[in-house]
Amino acid sequence: MTIDVNQVAGEPASVSTGFPVTVGWTHAAMAVYSVLRLNTPVNLKMLIEMHGPLLIDFRHHAFSWSTPLELFPVDAVHTGIETEPTSADAPPYFELPGQDLDGLLWQMGINSFGGGPAYWLPAGERYRLIRWPNLTRHAHDMSQMKMMAVLGNTYVTTAELATLAGVEDADAQRLINALSLMRILSRSAVAEAAPVAKETAAAKRQSLFARLRKRLGR
Amino acid sequence: MGAGKTTAIESLSEIEVVRTEANNSERHIADKATTTVALDYGEIVLDGEDKVRLYGIPGQKRFDFMWAILKKRAKGMILLVNSDAADPIAQMLTFIDEFRELYDRGGVVVGISRADVIDGPTLAEYSEALERTNPDLVIPVFTVDPRDRDQMENVLLALVLNIEMRALFGMATAASL
Repeated sequence: MTIDVNQVAGEPASVSTGFPVTVGWTHAAMAVYSVLRLNTPVNLKMLIEMHGPLLIDFRHHAFSWSTPLELFPVDAVHTGIETEPTSADAPPYFELPGQDLDGLLWQMGINSFGGGPAYWLPAGERYRLIRWPNLTRHAHDMSQMKMMAVLGNTYVTTAELATLAGVEDADAQRLINALSLMRILSRSAVAEAAPVAKETAAAKRQSLFARLRKRLGR
Repeated sequence: MGAGKTTAIESLSEIEVVRTEANNSERHIADKATTTVALDYGEIVLDGEDKVRLYGIPGQKRFDFMWAILKKRAKGMILLVNSDAADPIAQMLTFIDEFRELYDRGGVVVGISRADVIDGPTLAEYSEALERTNPDLVIPVFTVDPRDRDQMENVLLALVLNIEMRALFGMATAASL
């Protein structure tokens, strides 16, 4: 069965103007998000040009793919997305354990929607982490770790997050999209901005994190 | 015991780690010849002056007098949990309870060792257990191989970042800084 992601999504794809859209992973993220919201068990297969089929078994929170995540094809062209209903007592979609689905959702979320908000994230919300992703298993940089430390401690908008972490809005948005797709992000339309202690540039440079990071070459 | 704290300090330390081990009399708990009986000590030198001092403390209850010493002085703690333990979540919560003050000011990161070889609790289950102890706190929980320097550095950086971020938002007490 082939799904039309626009129909399954139930909402028009909301793409910010001024950002180029990577259709491949954006449509894949939309399909995955739609499936994650379904109450019935579903398997999903993605056909990706120049790569083997990507199989997702949502019931076991696992995926199977011949392409390692370390070589994640950012500009992949998807030639098809198919879903297959399954049941609670059906055999797994592929031989388990497969790979942890969170790793794929992380890469997918980071590399979809072209730096703009995922369609399911309306404007005006603040976000906070429900739990940290397992950074041991997800390729990340220090600015992403810093953003997660912010999100782990307070509710922020994407713009506030970017300011606090010293990154571009698009980079903050990519992280928000990924964490939301992984379903480890709490959303609130009413949470207020947290008070922030004033921090001088000198203090930032002298922070233990800055000095340790420099020492460790990170 | 057996979570890898001596190995973790060796991975991070820039000096040869001072180890204090004795023969392991509890081979039924952790099948290794020796175990930490006092403190392991290592260092990371910053800027050629200040140091990050790393202490590995034994996990057995009979050494809790050492815990009391470090509770007051430590800025943060990496709690290594052996996924192969009989009840790793319960063990984690026991230590969280012992170091409650440090935990409540966000000075803890949990590293689950041997998670790739043992089919133990999921990270979500560890996080949910922690959330029940303090719903306002979100503590990093990572799988970790204590032999891997990159992974241990990641854990250490996450700990330091979390502590500093909480201070930025005014969540840490003045006495802890």
